[in-house]
Amino acid sequence: MKHKGVEGNKGNEGTEGKTEFPQFLYFPSTWLFIAGFALLFAALAIAWNESHQPWQGWIARYNTQSDVTPVPIEIRTLVPTQTGKPELCVTCHIGIEDISASHPAETFGCVVCHGGQPLALDKDRAHTTMRGGRNPSDLSVAAQSCGQANCHGGYTDAERNHVDRVLKSVQATYAGGVAHVRFSFGAQKSPTALFGIRAVSDPTQVLPSKELRSLDMFATNPVSGTLDAKMVSCLDGGCHLWTTPAKPQAYAYRSSGCAACHYVYADDGLYRGKDATIARDEPGHGVAHQLTTAIPFSQCNHCHNRGNYDLKSMTFDLRDDLSPVARPLSAQMPLEGRRLLEYYQPIADFTKCEYELNCVDCHTAQEAMGNGRIYGSKKDAQYIQCQTCHGTPTTKPQTATIRSANELAMRQARINGHAEFLKVGDQVIVTERGELLWSIKQIAPNKFVQTEKVSGKIHNVPLVQGSKCTQDGKTQTSDYCHECHAVVR
Amino acid sequence: MSRFWRKEKSIIYALHPEKIPASGARLTYTFGLGGIAVLSSLVTLLTGVALTFYYVPTPGDAHASLILIQDVVSFGAVMRGLHYWGAQVMVLAVTLHLARVVFTGGYRPPREFNWLIGVALLVITLVWDFTGYVLRWDDGAYWAFLVGTNLLREIPAWGDAIYRAIVGDVQIGANALLRFYGWHIFGLTVAGVFGVVYHLWRLRKDGGISRPLPDEGETREFISRDELFFREFITAALVSATLVFITLIFPAPLGTAANLDAGVSDVRAPWIFLWVQNLLRILPPLWAGIIAPLFILALISALPFLDRRGPGRAIWFARERWKPQVILAAIALVLIALSVREVWR
Repeated sequence: MKHKGVEGNKGNEGTEGKTEFPQFLYFPSTWLFIAGFALLFAALAIAWNESHQPWQGWIARYNTQSDVTPVPIEIRTLVPTQTGKPELCVTCHIGIEDISASHPAETFGCVVCHGGQPLALDKDRAHTTMRGGRNPSDLSVAAQSCGQANCHGGYTDAERNHVDRVLKSVQATYAGGVAHVRFSFGAQKSPTALFGIRAVSDPTQVLPSKELRSLDMFATNPVSGTLDAKMVSCLDGGCHLWTTPAKPQAYAYRSSGCAACHYVYADDGLYRGKDATIARDEPGHGVAHQLTTAIPFSQCNHCHNRGNYDLKSMTFDLRDDLSPVARPLSAQMPLEGRRLLEYYQPIADFTKCEYELNCVDCHTAQEAMGNGRIYGSKKDAQYIQCQTCHGTPTTKPQTATIRSANELAMRQARINGHAEFLKVGDQVIVTERGELLWSIKQIAPNKFVQTEKVSGKIHNVPLVQGSKCTQDGKTQTSDYCHECHAVVR
Repeated sequence: MSRFWRKEKSIIYALHPEKIPASGARLTYTFGLGGIAVLSSLVTLLTGVALTFYYVPTPGDAHASLILIQDVVSFGAVMRGLHYWGAQVMVLAVTLHLARVVFTGGYRPPREFNWLIGVALLVITLVWDFTGYVLRWDDGAYWAFLVGTNLLREIPAWGDAIYRAIVGDVQIGANALLRFYGWHIFGLTVAGVFGVVYHLWRLRKDGGISRPLPDEGETREFISRDELFFREFITAALVSATLVFITLIFPAPLGTAANLDAGVSDVRAPWIFLWVQNLLRILPPLWAGIIAPLFILALISALPFLDRRGPGRAIWFARERWKPQVILAAIALVLIALSVREVWR
């Protein structure tokens, strides 16, 4: 190839020396080699990039798990019947558990609850528009996810609108705690609830409060050292469903919103499912990607039984008689006595059924999630007493008959996975507020049985009537029962 | 075959004469910027054709189809990346090419008409880039779309008519997106391709790349057609490979899907229009969005008519031609300062 010529003097190579580059770079084939190599390298880079996408890495990681059957590395599509729109989430989250039997992924998919970009395979892009981050049941977004119309909201029957109810419940507002602390320190003249962690209102309500103002009005301008400024710590984390725990640690792992109760965490906070994108050694994940109505006592205890607020310093003191290190999991836990010692408050007395059953076996959904009214204290919201199930020396528990398969109690039995326990015509116990306790039924004139919601185990429910109990039924509260029936630790 | 393909009659050969004056073909004279602009526009054109097979120009599906291209379609991310980075390189190359021509006085007669074609190509490039940005239909694109088209309404008397002619509707929505898609892939492409071909043909008609007039008695150096091809190939290969690596290392940006109902917190114009965005904070919309850009364009277009003759042709930063250089440098500095001001705001 001729590279340079001079007019009238063809073939004069003397001009070759005028270079702007080192001599070897001026040799054309050197440039050709560099350019060709750059092109080849670019082509190889494209090919490499195509076969090393992060989603391929997640499938490869899934395949390395010892207890799974390896799957081909390919894009996986889920087309939920409810939306008919394809979602690719399961490409990376292969092996993730169905969230519950009543929310099968084939029907609902992932996006209806989580939001996000259904067709994205890039982690950031897929997750950018997710509702509530990892937790679509966080109360800030629960109305758009769990509380969608025809899900757990939008019904004429308020009992089915769980999200609406829970937002006003003491679990969410922490109204009682706030009121009592402020009252104790003279910040308000009576222990009437005035503030919630978030503002809520119910104009239809007559008593006790129509509305609660938001305590976070103090967060914007905290006056250092004042009580209200200190109470801001309640808003920052640790207390109640609006918040995430301030200091996640062993025994105290939990989520926020609906998942705070329905998404079970192990005491060590480790994930034990098959989704390779969730680190197995990173505390702070639920046991599995699963919601449950069969909530074990350990889940409640992650909040309700690890210590107390120090009223002087407004800091949370963990129980110092327990070491917050790894202990056997709740599933292996209920050995006689150990649960009582390791979980329950040293200062309180407990009857046998209180530590052998799970909390949800007695406390109803309306107690835990509220009944739609604004309560100013736990005492007002909570009403199940010993006599609800055991009766008094003079009366038997109240009962009601299951009249149709569509009744709430029947539905709850199905949702809890114990449909066989209940049938139309059964007599079940009914609470003072008229709820039917689907898990306790009368099988003979003086015989009641209960099924444990978590395990399905059947227990006899002894009646006070006919026993040696001498309490006056009219004034009988659970405090009296504890005097004789509490277990000595 | 050889009868069918007669290379001496092809446009490739028409644009590559047998001998080219070496002084006009020096790397340090042109930096190959015109060629890089053509190459990047070709890359953008070809990848754009590929993207049309997957892109869906409707508000509901536009963003989702880009996610599909980006994450699912084989080589889709590379195609889109090359399209995006090709377009950015094109804008940069066209702008620098323009600066090169000013600082070397390459627009002198007989090239002043081609200079105007070049300025028109710059405008086409910028609008091309803007319409492409809008097609992303993410939060930033949507608001840029809204602001950009609303500026048209600021034009006195004909503003609304121009808005309706370009947007094709009375407000932003599905029709407008489809219209912009049409402009982007068809209207501007036809104008751009025709403009580039004409610009190159005109370049040959005007005697090739500008160069200094030879001194008397000086021997003139030439390079051969082969040498030109060779240099072009090397440049094209290196630029292409660089584009690929930029694409793989920095994926083309894509925000979250545009939400017409949601408010917007902080939206930034595409980088080439940051200066307009900043100007809009200082001046009324008509001045910032219409009069100022048109004034700058008019000033740039007028340069060859202000600087027609005299010494200093085809010489970098010739003192004799200091006026046009100062004008362009001043414009560039103001635009860069406004852009930086917007970024650091």
